[in-house]
Amino acid sequence: MVAAAQHPHIKLMTYAEVENIAGYVGNFEVTIRQKARSVDASKCTGCGTCWEKCPTKADSEFDLGLGKRKAIYLPFPQAVPAVPVIDREHCRQFTKGKCGVCQKVCPAKAIDYEQQDDVITENFGAIVVSTGYDLFKWEEVYGEYGYGKYPDVITGMHFERLNNASGPTGGKILRPSDGKEPKTVVFIKCVGSRDEAKGKSYCSRACCMYTAKHAHQVLEKIPDSQAIVFYMDIRTPGKAYEEFQQRSVHEGAVYVRGRVSRVFQEGDKLIVRGEDTLLGRQVEVAADMVVLATAMVPSEGWDRVAKMIGLQTDKDGFFQEAHPKLRPVETFTAGVFLAGACQGPKDIPDTVSQASAAAVKVCQLFAKDEMATDPMIAAVDESICSGCAMCEKICPYKAISIKTITERVAGRQVSRRVASVNNGLCQGCGTCSVACPSSAMNLRGFTNEQILAEVDAVCL
Amino acid sequence: MKRIGVFICHCGTNIASVVDVKKVAATAGSFPGVVYATDYQYMCSDPGQELIRKAIKEQRLDRVVVASCSPRLHEPTFRKTVESAGINPYLFEMANIREQCAWVHARDKDRATPKAIDLVRAAVAKVNRDGPLQAATIPITKRALVIGAGIAGMQAALDIADTGYEVVLLDREPTIGGNMVKLDKTFPTLDCSA
Amino acid sequence: MSVAQTPDWEPKIVAFCCNWCAYAGADLAGLNRLQYPANVRVIRVPCSGRINPQFVLRAFQRGADGVLVSG
Repeated sequence: MVAAAQHPHIKLMTYAEVENIAGYVGNFEVTIRQKARSVDASKCTGCGTCWEKCPTKADSEFDLGLGKRKAIYLPFPQAVPAVPVIDREHCRQFTKGKCGVCQKVCPAKAIDYEQQDDVITENFGAIVVSTGYDLFKWEEVYGEYGYGKYPDVITGMHFERLNNASGPTGGKILRPSDGKEPKTVVFIKCVGSRDEAKGKSYCSRACCMYTAKHAHQVLEKIPDSQAIVFYMDIRTPGKAYEEFQQRSVHEGAVYVRGRVSRVFQEGDKLIVRGEDTLLGRQVEVAADMVVLATAMVPSEGWDRVAKMIGLQTDKDGFFQEAHPKLRPVETFTAGVFLAGACQGPKDIPDTVSQASAAAVKVCQLFAKDEMATDPMIAAVDESICSGCAMCEKICPYKAISIKTITERVAGRQVSRRVASVNNGLCQGCGTCSVACPSSAMNLRGFTNEQILAEVDAVCL
Repeated sequence: MKRIGVFICHCGTNIASVVDVKKVAATAGSFPGVVYATDYQYMCSDPGQELIRKAIKEQRLDRVVVASCSPRLHEPTFRKTVESAGINPYLFEMANIREQCAWVHARDKDRATPKAIDLVRAAVAKVNRDGPLQAATIPITKRALVIGAGIAGMQAALDIADTGYEVVLLDREPTIGGNMVKLDKTFPTLDCSA
Repeated sequence: MSVAQTPDWEPKIVAFCCNWCAYAGADLAGLNRLQYPANVRVIRVPCSGRINPQFVLRAFQRGADGVLVSG
């Protein structure tokens, strides 16, 4: 993370969103909205006085609501850049119009309540889409696990925050409900994955492994603890993966093959009722905490990104690569490449490999100063074009515009409008040549004359 | 007057066992503009391509038709062949007599040959009206945008930047790191995620 | 008696196929050795949007009995 921040050739734009992408390979024009941080990043030193003194608290998004943060905050201590942001929905200066504590205490005078969103346009030759994943919203459909009403039924990501030394518990595994250390932790895999009835048809690929890691962490950190994993299948196809999973089994993790039918509260215990399909009988566990391995789904806003760039998606919203085997990081939009879970669920090793592959594709493009375009594209005969713009309207690639030309007719200078084809945008579909009422537009390599000659030849 | 050369491929026995390639070549020789027509076992092989190049030189051909497999497979190959013999690569056409003739009419040999002839005639008619084309060039802005600064975005940005190109690494959150930075240790080596 | 009633008559069909889908499909039919009647002649176009009604009319004018537009 720090490597990316300190790299002389990388410019970070955080708290920013892409609003529009125009242009084509080698020549994208991207409109970016830099959201107002309410902090002047050029003055802020990241000293932390503002968030120490801020009187307003809110749930920390970074800790998935397990901890609190201030209204002016860094998502987490090592955040990059170390420039806080004011959450205008909670900050009293914005909700009630008075407070101003952070502005008063800031030694660098960096707080700026008046700051506005800044919309800028920049030019790029290539785009890597790496918008990642969100977790499946299990609370909406899995009534058997309590619809999210039991605080100690959490997701794997919550469990990561509890384990993380910079997390809300300082790295101790504690129950969100009462802060006690759980002795019996039940893990349920395939929550949303491989469940066409309630969730997604696909396997999320990382859950078997992180659940094995979680079980290991429970057994390592909590003395006399029990880790029980309910699973459908164990899938460990990766280098050193099976060995890792076996290690957690040897450490004492109990794997039960079967689905959990119900989780309910009884006293301060969570009763997990399920089936052991290998023994062919019902099992019931009195657990202190239940951790769900929820499915990976495309990051919220995937549909907007797809529309903006013209990316195709699969039925679940993951971006479609140009070929599943041979062009795994390219897309059907030239100059746009995919990396990571936005293309499909994957773990870190696969993500890193794919990201490096996407980077090579970008560098391949940049290694040349110019790119040759397919010459089999539309061409206008300006001498007969009437400038009616039928072609401009019908072109699916927005490759045609109308320009004004000046010519000498009978000794006088005359200006008139004619169609003009952009070489970079034209994909050679020829739709324009069909729409053209005067046959001024033709498609090179598939001209009207050529196709008619072919018709004549096969009808002989 | 145009000087078209037609080359009929046997594709081993793939085409030749169904289509009478000699007859197709002989008939093609009489099409308007065709000054040379021949057949060969594998047109895409090195000797096959050499045969085309040699014929272009010796027969002073200015346009070429190859009747073989689908243009979706070997059109780029043969465009390069004719270009290497000094002909504009767009003065070239293919007739698909394998996927769309020999293979689908294997049990109807009587009609596969006339169909192959028709397909070659269409390709000759088309190549007759081909004009030389030149690829245009577009400039490339050597600057990349990476949308999303999780592990994928950071890795891609670092790799591109290490090559010396400028990168903008963008994220909607106030910090980079994405989901990855929320994780504790990562499998299978249990190293730290930050 | 019309031609269509002669026993050995068969129609002459011209098919316009988009390079990216229908034409690729016709190639796939070949790869899978699917057999179909030999009376269809495929003309490759870069997109079904390229097919001018004029092409279809010309085919009929020159004696085609059927025209298939596929893309």
